[in-house]
Amino acid sequence: MIQSVDRAVAVLLELQGARRLRLTELANRLSLPNSTVHGIVATLVTRGMVEQDASGRYALGPGVLRLSNVYLDSNELRLRALSWTEALAERSGCAVRVGVPLERDIVVIHHVLRPDGSHQMREIGIDIPAHGTALGKAVLAFDARRAEELLAAAPLPKLTGRTCVDGEELAEQLARVRDDGIATALDEAILGESEVAAPIFDAHDAVVGAVGIVLSSSAATGDRLINDEVRRTAVSISRELGASAWPPRSRPRTSAGS
Amino acid sequence: MTSMDGVPDPTAGAGSPPATAPATHLDGGLVRRWIAELDQRLRAAEARLTELDAAIGDADHGTNMTRGARAAMAALAEHDEDTAAARLVAAVGHSLSRSVGGASGPLYGTWFNALGRSLPPELPATAMELATALGAALDAVQQLGAAELGDKTMVDALAPAARQAREVAGSGADLAGMLRIAAGAAEDGAVATIPLRARRGRASYLGARSEGHQDPGATSAAIVLDALRDAADA
Repeated sequence: MIQSVDRAVAVLLELQGARRLRLTELANRLSLPNSTVHGIVATLVTRGMVEQDASGRYALGPGVLRLSNVYLDSNELRLRALSWTEALAERSGCAVRVGVPLERDIVVIHHVLRPDGSHQMREIGIDIPAHGTALGKAVLAFDARRAEELLAAAPLPKLTGRTCVDGEELAEQLARVRDDGIATALDEAILGESEVAAPIFDAHDAVVGAVGIVLSSSAATGDRLINDEVRRTAVSISRELGASAWPPRSRPRTSAGS
Repeated sequence: MTSMDGVPDPTAGAGSPPATAPATHLDGGLVRRWIAELDQRLRAAEARLTELDAAIGDADHGTNMTRGARAAMAALAEHDEDTAAARLVAAVGHSLSRSVGGASGPLYGTWFNALGRSLPPELPATAMELATALGAALDAVQQLGAAELGDKTMVDALAPAARQAREVAGSGADLAGMLRIAAGAAEDGAVATIPLRARRGRASYLGARSEGHQDPGATSAAIVLDALRDAADA
């Protein structure tokens, strides 16, 4: 690990969480001397990754947007998912999201709005604790090491009163996801919202993410047709990514490249 | 329902009995006046709630709540004139959980349901009994939503209201007086959500961008309690 690179990343992540910080606030959060942090942020400012506002506080700079756009435009999973998720949204009438795992979260990398023309929040870039979303459960079911680490990280946070935070119960849910490839969440991330999701595999037959729909909890869940639509979408995207089978017969213990 | 919607009746003669003594108990009639008042208030506030929700949500809170109030009015109309307050309040909860949708449906449904279950089943509720029921309703909502005070949710209005209600009822306040204090605490709590960062629900996806906006759920919760205060004062 290169210490200065690690510290530069830590600065960016602190600014992501807090949005705007003074030098001393940044230094306190990182437990580093002001002078050390000043050198790092000054460098990041000259490269456009951080900017300083009129009151002297630091925030993420426009260079970060350029990076994130390139991430979205070159992420193979997202590119392969574009047309399939559009079609799934049209057929189901629901919002569709694609997520990838990052540490204990799922980061949404693609979001097709519910096709009813209503005002909806755009969710690209949001992160949701993996155990609280069907996208996360779909990934965890086929990534044993990630699931083990997550279950060992108790206590898991509750996002609503219905978030499953019990390790044993969660492990049982993941076993059921392995059986039929479908993960569900009912009011677990947000009250009133339910999800149906399925895992996506790559050419190494490793799980790389998941695709899922979001539907109102008052609508029927456990609908076989909906499950089939979601499963078919995950199969199609996986096939385009080079997966040999869905779900893979012999599962690698961990995702390749992570 | 025109006699319940708070509009003064111009045909009422000077000799008609004063219908304006502050309520001392929560009875079926007060529940009906409460929900009629709430229906009006929510319609008047629909645009504001939608605007608040557009900033940190899906911009549907205003329409969801007015739809719920209409459904609650219809549910009350199906009950006999002499139905007890507890049963009417639970009926309101049932209709809200079916009609409102989103997160507010289950949350308001749960709040009214728990409130109804905690009220005396037959008799009108005293100030203390209502204060206790407000506490039970708050507990049920917190259990469902896993929200604490300061998470920028309806709890930020409902919790101070329940606490104040209990305090002033404990020191002997009458029902209308207690509700004035509780509704004021709810309104203060709703305003105090402005600088907070959302930690529950869709708004939490926004992180720091949720700061600087009043929470729509806390705002509507303050309206619910203020409508009850108004009905009790009438």
